Amino acid sequence: MSRILLVARRDFLQIIATRAFKITLLIVPLMLGLVIFGTTSLRRPPTVAYIVADAGGSIAAVIEHRVDLDYQRAVLRDLSAYADRWKLPPPGDSWSDDAAVERFIAQGAANGALKRMRPPAGATTFKPEAPAYIRVAVPKDVPVDEGAGAFGRAIAPYLANDIQTEQGKRPLAVAVYVPAHGPLRLWTNGRGSNGLIALIQQERSHQLRMTLLAANGVSSAAAQRIESLEAPVAVTAPPEGGGRNQLTVRSIVPLALVYLLLMGALITGGMMLQGVIEERSNRLLEAVLACVEPRELMTGKLIGLGAVGLTIIAVWGGCALLAAVSVNGVVADYLQPSLAALDQPWTIPLLIFYFFCGYLMLGMLYLTIGSLSNSMQDAQAYLMPVTMGVLLPVMLMVNDIIRNPSGWLPEVMSWIPIYTPFAMLVRLGSGVSAAEILGTGLLLLVFVTLEFVLLGRVFRASLLNTGQPPKLGAFLKLMLRRD
Amino acid sequence: MTALVLDGVVKRFGDFTAVDDLSFSVPDGGMFGFLGSNGAGKTTSIRMMLDILRPDSGRIEILGRAPSRANAPEVGFLPEERGLYRLMTVTDTVVYFGRLKGMSGADAGRAAARLIERLGLGAWAGTALDKLSKGMSQKVQLATALVNGPRLLILDEPFSGLDPVNQGVLEEIVLEMVKGGATVIFSTHVMQHAERLSDRLLLLARGRKVFEGTQAEARALLPPRLSLTAMADPARLPGVLRAAAVGKPQAGWQQWDVTLAPGQDAGSLLQHCTADGFLLRGFELHRPSLHDVFLHLVGGA
Repeated sequence: MSRILLVARRDFLQIIATRAFKITLLIVPLMLGLVIFGTTSLRRPPTVAYIVADAGGSIAAVIEHRVDLDYQRAVLRDLSAYADRWKLPPPGDSWSDDAAVERFIAQGAANGALKRMRPPAGATTFKPEAPAYIRVAVPKDVPVDEGAGAFGRAIAPYLANDIQTEQGKRPLAVAVYVPAHGPLRLWTNGRGSNGLIALIQQERSHQLRMTLLAANGVSSAAAQRIESLEAPVAVTAPPEGGGRNQLTVRSIVPLALVYLLLMGALITGGMMLQGVIEERSNRLLEAVLACVEPRELMTGKLIGLGAVGLTIIAVWGGCALLAAVSVNGVVADYLQPSLAALDQPWTIPLLIFYFFCGYLMLGMLYLTIGSLSNSMQDAQAYLMPVTMGVLLPVMLMVNDIIRNPSGWLPEVMSWIPIYTPFAMLVRLGSGVSAAEILGTGLLLLVFVTLEFVLLGRVFRASLLNTGQPPKLGAFLKLMLRRD
Repeated sequence: MTALVLDGVVKRFGDFTAVDDLSFSVPDGGMFGFLGSNGAGKTTSIRMMLDILRPDSGRIEILGRAPSRANAPEVGFLPEERGLYRLMTVTDTVVYFGRLKGMSGADAGRAAARLIERLGLGAWAGTALDKLSKGMSQKVQLATALVNGPRLLILDEPFSGLDPVNQGVLEEIVLEMVKGGATVIFSTHVMQHAERLSDRLLLLARGRKVFEGTQAEARALLPPRLSLTAMADPARLPGVLRAAAVGKPQAGWQQWDVTLAPGQDAGSLLQHCTADGFLLRGFELHRPSLHDVFLHLVGGA
């Protein structure tokens, strides 16, 4: 093994053995876990039961139909997103239209649609969410023909506990008593279910309006038309699959890469900087330098730093990929379409190129700061301007691209080598010309090479210095000194 | 063959000349003392021998080659400022340095195990260095210098910070290496160490060489001194440069501190006293120490 690789291996092993590294490694999986847990637990409220005691016999079936229609609408909406994600034929027409949802139900609902859609072997299995409300029959010991008062007293114990449904025991959320004449009475267990109450009220109002219209001589068909009248609203959305996907991809993958690059470089660069300062303050560099050239030492450290960064990215990326393919929900909704952006053969090598150039560029800055500093306190004086000088413009650019994806700022920053990796990572998904890729890539390569040569001189000259860190003039002289 | 040659070497840091036209050579085998007070240029010279620093002018040859890391497999180096990677174990540290010096993993492992045992660190072989005492850490550092079985061992102030027991261990190991044919160069500002160990020595002051040679040659630079107890003043004897009375005479016998003229021999003086009937009751020759020579040559430098 060459001396460079020996240095790289030692630095890599030392960093990955630290507690700080292990904590860093766990940040993204923990965050993903929290998001997945949060979204799944928030999006899936438990199914609750409701009872309709319909003395008039006119509304129970209507409420049940409306509850089912709304549930199937949600299933159709989710299924449409699923079809969109796996590039399958749509499961039905617009899910906002009652008639379309009725057709969806008539054609076998989710099961029927999935048979028609034929998901490919690699696609995740579609699992419709459980319905929010399930109707149960009025318990035998609850009278329905002795008035609302008797019904209310008898149903009270059931509202305080769970009730047996076809899906097992569920909380009884709402009990409705509909007399043949007079106002509808409703009892709840006091834990929300406002959606169901509004739905019942809406259906009851509809029924009353229809009765009133009929009493005023309006035909049933005309009354129905009046009731179903809605103001026309035209909504324009990005076209399915094209614009919408691109927008997601442009926002998520490049921004995630920029954040990964920033976090990876800053965290591991910080660890490496601490390592160099430790080597200097422990006075062990002299023994190492008797065996290893300063340039070999610097290269080895950069390779070690790169390996640490790769490990972090592999673990973070692996976790994100795992979350994308194995978990449904918000995380998968964003990550899965993002992966489709990597279909161009040149995209991945370019992403890697810009990512590593950025990593090396920042890593060299950190190593040099370490070689100039006698303590972390010394290092802070250099770190602050360097970190802010990189971080603030990049954050500004990220903000800008979120608000205006075709803005001029990323384009300008692509040509400033220190920001090129960030700007190009952000822009790669949105169609950058080959000339621009070639030009900025070459400029970046020249800059990184020059940085390696010039900062390498500073690194060599500063390693064994024990005095105060050099001022700007002395620093520039060190960069230009050949030996 | 010479282990080391420096020829007209100059090293400046800005306006300060740390090493000024230094020329000397160290023959193969034996112990060579590199003496000088703090700031005399010893560490700078050693760093140039190891290519850690480059001279501004002059030529250096180490084991017949220019200084470079290519010499590392045959060179051992113990720096004055000592430190190790705190989180590495004793074995890993020694093996790491062995490998940096071009040894295979297996060879470095075997050599490290042998040295660790030899230095009494066997029980701590798997312990991280931040859990060891300072003395133990210094032994580990010594092991990193010796792991490759060097032909040339360069020790910069090797005894500083070591307790007398560990100084003894270090001396023993170094002498073993010399017996095995290695060349050892060690810098020190403690003359007793140089006196005890070095065959040849070099004295540096303000970056310049003030002496190079054997211990006997160094001592010969100072006029011999005698303590005489005599009835008469020895100043009139041939070859005596100075004679100063020490204390008061007792029953006519006076003690004298006598300095001979350069090149004069104490034996000839004794012979003359005997032949001439110069009454003596005491005749004691004081051999000048390296410390005396150092002070004589360097003075307040």
